[in-house]
Amino acid sequence: MTSYLYDGTFAGLLTVLALVREGGEETTSIGTAPPAQAGLFAATVRVEADAEDAERLLDEIGRRMSPATAAHLYHAFLSETEGAEMLLHHYLRLGWQEGRCLDSLLSHPSVLPVHRLAHRVRFEAHRLKGFVRFREVREGFYYAPLEPDYRVLTLMAPHFADRFHDQDWVIHDVRRNRAIVHGARRKGWEEVALELTGSPVTGGREEWFQSLWRRYFDRLAIAERHNPRLQQGKVPLKYRRYLVEF
Amino acid sequence: MDLEERLGILAENAKYDVSCASSGSRREGRDGIGNAASCGICHSWTSDGRCVSLLKILLTNACIYDCSYCINRRSNDVPRAALTPEEVAELTIGFYRRNYIEGLFLSTGVVRGPDHTMELLIRAARLLRETHRFNGYIHLKLVPGADPLLVEQAGRYADRVSMNIELPTRESLKLLAPDKNRDAIVGPMRTVSGLITRSREERRVSRKAPLFAPAGQSTQLIVGATPESDLQIIRLAEGFYNRLAMKRVYYSAFIPVGDSRHLPALPGPPLLREHRLYQADWLLRYYGFAAHEVLDEARPDLDLAVDPKCGWALRHLHLFPVEVNRAAYEVLLRVPGIGVRSAKRIVRARRQQHLSFDDLAKLGVVLKRARFFLTARGKRLETLDLGESVLRALLTAPAPRPKARQLSLFDGVGGDESVSVLTGEL
Ligand code: SF4
Repeated sequence: MTSYLYDGTFAGLLTVLALVREGGEETTSIGTAPPAQAGLFAATVRVEADAEDAERLLDEIGRRMSPATAAHLYHAFLSETEGAEMLLHHYLRLGWQEGRCLDSLLSHPSVLPVHRLAHRVRFEAHRLKGFVRFREVREGFYYAPLEPDYRVLTLMAPHFADRFHDQDWVIHDVRRNRAIVHGARRKGWEEVALELTGSPVTGGREEWFQSLWRRYFDRLAIAERHNPRLQQGKVPLKYRRYLVEF
Repeated sequence: MDLEERLGILAENAKYDVSCASSGSRREGRDGIGNAASCGICHSWTSDGRCVSLLKILLTNACIYDCSYCINRRSNDVPRAALTPEEVAELTIGFYRRNYIEGLFLSTGVVRGPDHTMELLIRAARLLRETHRFNGYIHLKLVPGADPLLVEQAGRYADRVSMNIELPTRESLKLLAPDKNRDAIVGPMRTVSGLITRSREERRVSRKAPLFAPAGQSTQLIVGATPESDLQIIRLAEGFYNRLAMKRVYYSAFIPVGDSRHLPALPGPPLLREHRLYQADWLLRYYGFAAHEVLDEARPDLDLAVDPKCGWALRHLHLFPVEVNRAAYEVLLRVPGIGVRSAKRIVRARRQQHLSFDDLAKLGVVLKRARFFLTARGKRLETLDLGESVLRALLTAPAPRPKARQLSLFDGVGGDESVSVLTGEL
């Protein structure tokens, strides 16, 4: 009976998963903090993230199962759901037996929950690609705040880096104090810690575009088709805070 | 008038064009700004539940023509406004950089003549592509009667071009849009179809060959302003898909915009009929149905009570039930309640295991309607011996309602339908 602790990074989790793969004794928990009720005889092992181990494991998963399995693993991890680590452990366990077939076992109790989590994360990342609202805070510098349910910034970054590669921009996960920072002219992007006090100031031109957009949006609805229930399903209230048009 | 006011007017009058598609094109953001994502991204939803992905706007709402169904018609007394191509380009870029939109959908009333109007549209698109180096999505409307050379130019700059057929038959068009004629609409559609095919072939030989409307062409027609049957409409759509390789046909429930003696007085726009047409259209495009299977002379109109796939299945009960572990993919697609995603999941999962109804539920297959038409491991949940009329009653039973539910147009047809209102997805 062993509880494993890791540092909350994906590499850290992979290091644990590589470790328990061989281990004989049953793993009871994997987490970032010791479990509240560790059994009397349970041991707690603190695992240092090892980038090489992590890389090697991912590689092997890609070869033995499929690259899609590695992606499911990462996306489900980003959900930060309590207990996700153990789900991933069981998923992978089954994977070593089933190999390529793993992700076709759609209704298997070790597969289904992982697919579900991964799907939810991907869905949110895709949806938020539309809901990002940049404001120009300085000439040529754009800032967008978000409060996603899941840790989706890294999944969204490549899309925006491709689309706005000539723009300096920041997408800020206000809830987690993390941000993607992108530099124009092929400087690329990275994820950094970011805490803002107060909201960024914007100039008159920015206000002008925002009010144009609001005017445009308000005129779009067709009264004869009014259907706010449908609208609310599509743009949940939790996302509206940073949407210029709401 | 300041820009904001003009924008309001020109958006107001463009909104009846329903096309919101911004997908199907893949431009990469090499130099300049933007890309066109190949799977569409919606940026917002209006209070009537439609996706906003493009800046959909008219260059001007002034028009020399007088189509009875159109709010911009010459004889209608409404404020008129216009934007310059430069203003359109600036707005598009400003909105795009803030991630409000995927691109531009530019339409217009006809000023001076078709060629002059077409030139203005092209100018806006060219400014975006050449001056602003914009790689995002552009949809240009073609003006009936415009010179084929201009049509060709439009397709060089646009991802998609469209010309509205407006009404299902020549006669109706003559009655309601006396300035347009069917040939001036279908002619350019043919030109476009030919140019798209040629461009695809050239690009297979050389990646450097110029693009021509890589997201294809689409069209739109008005439903309920004239007496045509659904069969006529669906046949027309089938012809567009098969012979002109049209990407999409859009159906727009007629909303009275001012009175005309040629127009019917309707209690409200025929939205449910429009919805059924989208579903029938979906059957044509994705489920391998032919128009004559969906409707025939004996039944020229879609059943408003059940969706068209259900309707088809009810008329063909002798083909059911099918065994979920054996039925071919194409057959699964014809089962009411099973869509492309479910059918694919079933096919994939059954390679590994023999599926039961429980497994289906776990796969996320909705059994509400499908249960009547399937067996799993030889077992069935319901008997089909109920006969068509009982079955029909069961299938149309309203879904249980959550308490504080908004009154919606689709009450009584099952709550889950509202999601497919605009796509017709089944
Ligand atoms: S030509 Fe177009 S804008 Fe002009 S009245 Fe007819 S439909 Fe309306």
